[in-house]
Amino acid sequence: MTARLDSPLKVTGRARYGSDHNPPGMVFGYVVLSTVAHGEVTAMDVTAVRDAPGVLAVYTPFESLELHTPHNPIMGATWVPLQDTDVAYRGQPIGFVVAETFEQARDAASLVEVSYRERTPLTSLEDGLAAAEDAPPSMDGSPHTVTVLASGVESIEDALAASPVVVEATYTTAPQNHAAMEPHSAVAVWESGTLTVYSGNQGSDLQAASLAQALAEPLSAVHAVNPFVGGAFGGKGATSVPAFLAAAAARDLGRPVKAALTREQVFTATGTRAATVQRLALGAEKDGTLVALRHDSWSSTPMSRAFIEQTSHSTSREWYTTPNMVISQKMVPLNIPPTTFMRAPGEAPGSFALESAIDELAVELGMDPIELRRRNSSLAPPGKDLQWSSKHLDECFGIGAERFGWSQRSEGGRVDGDWLVGLGTATAMFPALRFPASVRVTLNADDTAEVATSGADPGTGLLSVLSLIGADSLDIAPERVTPRLGDSALPSGGMSGGSTATASAGSAIMVAAPEVIDELLTLAAAPGAPFEGAEVSYADGRVLATDGRSLTFGEVLRAVDRSSIAAVGSSAPGEEMSKHSFSSFGAQFCEVRVHRWTREVRVSRMLGVFDAGRIINEQPARSQLMGGMIWGVSAALHEGMEIEADGRLANGDFASYLIPVNADIPDVDVQFVQYPDTLHNPVGARGVGEIGIVGVAAAIANAVFNATGTRVRNIPIAIEDLLDE
Amino acid sequence: MDISLQINGKSERLSVEPGVTLLDALRERLDVTGPKKGCDRGQCGACTVHVGGRPVLACLTLAATVREPVTTVEGLASGDDLHPVQQAFVDQDALQCGFCTSGQIMSAVAAVEQDVPDVREFMSGNLCRCSAYPNIVAAVDQVRGADASV
Repeated sequence: MTARLDSPLKVTGRARYGSDHNPPGMVFGYVVLSTVAHGEVTAMDVTAVRDAPGVLAVYTPFESLELHTPHNPIMGATWVPLQDTDVAYRGQPIGFVVAETFEQARDAASLVEVSYRERTPLTSLEDGLAAAEDAPPSMDGSPHTVTVLASGVESIEDALAASPVVVEATYTTAPQNHAAMEPHSAVAVWESGTLTVYSGNQGSDLQAASLAQALAEPLSAVHAVNPFVGGAFGGKGATSVPAFLAAAAARDLGRPVKAALTREQVFTATGTRAATVQRLALGAEKDGTLVALRHDSWSSTPMSRAFIEQTSHSTSREWYTTPNMVISQKMVPLNIPPTTFMRAPGEAPGSFALESAIDELAVELGMDPIELRRRNSSLAPPGKDLQWSSKHLDECFGIGAERFGWSQRSEGGRVDGDWLVGLGTATAMFPALRFPASVRVTLNADDTAEVATSGADPGTGLLSVLSLIGADSLDIAPERVTPRLGDSALPSGGMSGGSTATASAGSAIMVAAPEVIDELLTLAAAPGAPFEGAEVSYADGRVLATDGRSLTFGEVLRAVDRSSIAAVGSSAPGEEMSKHSFSSFGAQFCEVRVHRWTREVRVSRMLGVFDAGRIINEQPARSQLMGGMIWGVSAALHEGMEIEADGRLANGDFASYLIPVNADIPDVDVQFVQYPDTLHNPVGARGVGEIGIVGVAAAIANAVFNATGTRVRNIPIAIEDLLDE
Repeated sequence: MDISLQINGKSERLSVEPGVTLLDALRERLDVTGPKKGCDRGQCGACTVHVGGRPVLACLTLAATVREPVTTVEGLASGDDLHPVQQAFVDQDALQCGFCTSGQIMSAVAAVEQDVPDVREFMSGNLCRCSAYPNIVAAVDQVRGADASV
């Protein structure tokens, strides 16, 4: 186990995040947002702004910075600000004021007078359900509706009607904001025709490409640097509004520009998780065997329809064995802030619905919910031939039940003084994915090595993972490996997202390391080299000859007068995708205490047992899973964006958008079963960034039911949901 | 207006508008960027520094009102030796992205110095979206345990 390698920099304040850069001559930009949710900006009076002290420039849709819509393979198109006068949501960026100081820019921005031609906004998912549209195909290309029926079964309705036991219910989940502690920000510097941007993002090379496209500059003219990212969670996958504006304004003004969103602006000017409504119907035999599953999902989406939260496709499509299944996904375009990927997109809200419904079925059957899940555990997604590569979910439940004292659980919970205590459980699944990635492995003459890729470590621990897999692949101690990331000048590491970075970058290291070792051996045996003509091999950081002689790789490099040698390795998903289905699995356990009189809900114990393949670095992996589980607590009991009828966000700051504080969180137990999944990738790791959150909200709602007998089908669960009629 | 500040043992003179916060003075005028701006209105704790030995929110403190010495996270370590609280954060993995960490550590130092009865309550003014909370408590406990064993 290795401590997080960047911790010493982070605990001393020496880690420089995007907005911590202060180049000479820097000026400050402040973003102006719309104050209506739907309409058109007809005029912006900036006279007073221009007259304000220190103001250097004011950009609006009428006097804009030219920006072009960039595209990338993962994020699709990224919206760029100020290019037209349409307003599609309240809090949309419509202006940018640049001044000598932060205070001058902020104060001047408040003087902008905006005139709108307003239209009535649509902001309620519930009101929009009747006008819902079919969603576009999901990321794997599946159509909005997928039907799997056993032969002879005419429809899912028939299958449900023929089921001896049926539960049907509708669940809702609130829209959410990533709320990473670092607001989206950027410092942009142009020097000799080259742009350097310091801005937290989930992939520096993708960010550089997107800025180059937006600015119509060659890729070689854009350098993105972000070795430290103050949290992302999917919300920094796209290049941010401050990054586009700072970069364009810096080019226009010939001065470095710093721009940061305020916390309030982050809630609307970045991305959010959609609200969802989900209708579940489960049909089962009396012994619990699932015979029919229907999961219909509606998700809010912005008017651009750019991103759809796919809840049924991300859960019910794959989780349980059933001969008959219909899932569907619809979208409801609204005048709301953009939606985007947020930690376990689809799986997090989808698992609240599915795993609550499974618990309801267990209650209906009078069956232990773990036994019900075991009985319907899938060998492969329904209707697909490709079996799971490695699935140990039953073992997760077994270990979890034992550690958590599940056998002590009783129907109706137990009472402890004024507290009603209940236990709940849920399954967690998250697909095992990886993206194309390249990594450079360098051997240096001083017997150190470097492992370098452009990817990001937004708190995930990728930096340490590069060092550990690099050391393993080069057969040397991790202390001798210097990892580098967060710089678009390095080989393309792609995006830190989808719980992929360890599998993607790790696999590329395992390609690059043998290549650089081969080159070392060739050099070592070349004419004039120390092992000229000899048969040589490599182990333990040394070149070995059959006659017993050996030299370290540094000694070899010095002998042949080379300061370093390097190889770039690349990896991408391949033929394994045609052989198996891939997912991580987990069993979530939760104990809640509900106050008999106030109905306050407290989570008092949590346990997650995860089957995520090989764990590279246990301590940070455990931390990340724990963080995910606490996100589940937050979804279940704390957070939700409250959007008013006029599109205003009623709780867009940290005083009113609730996320857990230290006192809300008990000790969290995280356990692994470790079965390296080398069918998926050579590292055997399936990633731990997202699965932690999956299922937790359902486990909590199920525990609340166990404690109180009240089934809450919406999150976040509020006190009023638990008050007696 | 002209003001002088004692930052991590160093005297700094600067000229600021009366409305400039201690946080912006540190970050934008003095390049002391350990304290972070997570919300700029006292709701997240990422800007926590010590003024006269007490934890304060630098974003809610006007620079011109500061008379006592200011300690930021940069001022805790002596040379390469981490402050015990900093070391405990490393040992317990009490951070992930690290953006809230400067503020967490300044509050945690105060928790240790004041020997607070309830660490979780005391640390609840510092948000951590990565949710390292249990490890932060473990870090404070590590330092207090070490103190107790002396």
